[in-house]
Amino acid sequence: MLSLPLLKQSIRSNAVMWGSMTGVMTLLCVQFSMLDMTRSLLFTIFYGMMTTILPGIYVLVTANKLLASQVDRGSMAYVLATPTKRSTVTFTQAFYLVNSLIAMFGVQTLAHLATNAAKPIALGEMGYTMLAGDLTSKMIAQVNLSALMVCIALSAVCFMFSGIFSSSKYSIGLSGTFIGVSILANMLAMFGNLGVDGLKNFKYLTICSFYDYQSVLFSGNEWITKLIFPAAIAVAAFTVGELCFSKKDLPL
Amino acid sequence: MIKVNELTHDYGHGRGVFDVSFEVGKGETLGFLGPNGAGKSTTMRHLMGFSKPQKGEVSIGGLDCTAKPSEIMKNVGYLPGEVALPEGLSGRQFIKMMQDMRGVRNDERVRELLERFKLDPSGSVKRMSIGEKRKLAVVTAFMSDPEILLLDEPTSGLDPVMQEEFISFIREEKVKGRTILLSSHIFSEVEALCDRIAIIKDGRLVSTVDAAEIRHGLHNIMTIEFENAGDFTEFGRQELDFALRDRSSLKCSVVVDDEDINRFIRAIRRFRIKSFAEHSVTLEEYFMHFYKNDKHFGGVSYA
Repeated sequence: MLSLPLLKQSIRSNAVMWGSMTGVMTLLCVQFSMLDMTRSLLFTIFYGMMTTILPGIYVLVTANKLLASQVDRGSMAYVLATPTKRSTVTFTQAFYLVNSLIAMFGVQTLAHLATNAAKPIALGEMGYTMLAGDLTSKMIAQVNLSALMVCIALSAVCFMFSGIFSSSKYSIGLSGTFIGVSILANMLAMFGNLGVDGLKNFKYLTICSFYDYQSVLFSGNEWITKLIFPAAIAVAAFTVGELCFSKKDLPL
Repeated sequence: MIKVNELTHDYGHGRGVFDVSFEVGKGETLGFLGPNGAGKSTTMRHLMGFSKPQKGEVSIGGLDCTAKPSEIMKNVGYLPGEVALPEGLSGRQFIKMMQDMRGVRNDERVRELLERFKLDPSGSVKRMSIGEKRKLAVVTAFMSDPEILLLDEPTSGLDPVMQEEFISFIREEKVKGRTILLSSHIFSEVEALCDRIAIIKDGRLVSTVDAAEIRHGLHNIMTIEFENAGDFTEFGRQELDFALRDRSSLKCSVVVDDEDINRFIRAIRRFRIKSFAEHSVTLEEYFMHFYKNDKHFGGVSYA
């Protein structure tokens, strides 16, 4: 099912993109949680936007590179000229995509845990005046898990387009539209939450709405139920991508 | 070993392959000759299981190419027409990756091939020239010593010295009893290597010829230049198979089969001749004839 040599190649060829996105996300997280000027915006700006925008860009580029672009360029021919099944190729690439996201959020979570231990922040300081106490390590882990699940769903949809189309321009075009709409709608919905009522309904336009850091901060359980939907979307989209890629004619 | 039966795949706009059928026996080398866009790579693509035939069957070693491509690939070395290698690797890493994916490790063979094609695989693939990438693809296609080889325009991008080297290399592989399908539009290479040659044009197989026949020369063509117009006209009345008659240069080309050579010499003795040249129909000319649409060529008619 999993091809180790192919996995290695995927890690190598996407290392720069992964490294820079992880680096930027981690640095921003450290900055937002450490600097007095920006601490109060840790959740609105960093967890509200950056944890979907940065991984969003990463999955948009990477998902396309994992299948569609290799078919488009022709390098997939070398992979399939070996006794490797197409299903093994898609499984390996999807495995890479999901695990690279897990690693990305892992690094950033660890960084945040470290900065939070060094310089704890009260929930009240970030605008949640009705809540007592500091931001706990448990909350940080839960918020990141919630964001990770949504990012996996985003990656799965991009992967699906990458599997369906044999040409980069269609794969990246549709994935880009999807990611763009998801992130923009999420931002607009966030303004809705902050008081612009007319923008509230945008939350129905994006799967980023299943990422619910407020529920975590309020120690609710909603965020756990909301994990199920992106998980289901991810499974469905990865499956469709897999099937399309395995069945279609490849112009190699 | 390789069997293509009435393969049809229509991509629209007249592109694709139509009713292509041929077989390559064990240990045989079949040359697949045709102009660009004739359907050579499309046929290869079906043999590799990348595309499914709309009609007909393709199989290698008795296994259906669309149903069991990964099974087939265990015995097949494929040299793609495109030299787009996977990204982010050095040459050596690419070789290692292909070895791991094939599950075959034969470092001795790799060293031998690298030395033979004078390739240094240490640099990044991205920075390699087309020729170097092609060499790298050759090394990875041959390193596991596969029984069957599908070579799609294998020498494009190689310099003439390396083309020569490649041809002598394939000759050695032939001795080892490999079954080879070689697509190309370079006559000399096909002529030098293949036992049989299939010519494809506009997606249809137009002719399959024995290479030995072509090497011997299909026909002889004599070109005669006369000293005066009188002789030219008079000669034109002879009962000969004229391929060309050009009054302005007083030149005639006549197609002569081996058994008619004496009759021909008797016929020209009476005329004053300025120059005389003889040449055989080469594969190139035979092939060029399929580019052009004339049905009559070198005294050989094709229906």
